[in-house]
Amino acid sequence: MRHVAEQPDATNSKPLTEPVLLILMSLASQPRHGYALMKDIETLSNGRVRLSTGTLYGALRRLLDDLWIERFEQEDTSRDKQAYRLTYEGRRQLQLELERLKQLTKVGIARLRLSEAQS
Amino acid sequence: MTTFTYRAVLRLYPPDHRIWFGAEMQSVFEEAALEHRGRGSIAYARFLLAEYAALAGGAAIAWAAKLAGRAYVHQPQPATQTALLPGEVQEAQDRLNVSLNGLLHAISHHEFLKARVYAAEEQKAREDLRLLREKYNIAE
Repeated sequence: MRHVAEQPDATNSKPLTEPVLLILMSLASQPRHGYALMKDIETLSNGRVRLSTGTLYGALRRLLDDLWIERFEQEDTSRDKQAYRLTYEGRRQLQLELERLKQLTKVGIARLRLSEAQS
Repeated sequence: MTTFTYRAVLRLYPPDHRIWFGAEMQSVFEEAALEHRGRGSIAYARFLLAEYAALAGGAAIAWAAKLAGRAYVHQPQPATQTALLPGEVQEAQDRLNVSLNGLLHAISHHEFLKARVYAAEEQKAREDLRLLREKYNIAE
């Protein structure tokens, strides 16, 4: 039997919610615990998004369930400061979403240019 | 007072969510509250309102997910057997039960990736429990 590797296809991926996208982006560079995630997301979004703990942990729970992130043991942190990191699947989903957004941006800009040229 | 209120609203969540995330959520809330307290009373009040509202909303979503069978963790064993244990031992026992249930559930549904995650959690929970039993001199 011949196995064919599944190619990332941005057009077939389901759009992510903003908190999920920002969490994945934040974890793309390094593992972080809850408060560090919250602060980094605020920075990533230029202060526009501040996740509450309810939203943050709801999203983390779903991401753990989907195995897009995993808990990560850090020796220097207590149990109350559990760190999270991206799994291979989480990184792949982030790449798909960023590709989808890139294509969408390209189409949006093209449409804007077209309307500007016509007016 | 704010931590007390937070803890009270947190009780709206399903028990398994509180076991897995309760301590972490409270710790993050306390850090964020400390930061917002320094930004003035209006900013602090706005922060608290947003936190409590999102917490109540999050609890509703967590219950909906649980009832739909999409819960990450599964219902721990009834606490009757462990009711007389010290708080942290009881919590460690609950974590072990949750991991074990998750492991069995994952295996029975042929979700082997999940099973590996639960197996690692179960191993850690078992070790935590062993150390706590040693600390309190509690027999197996």
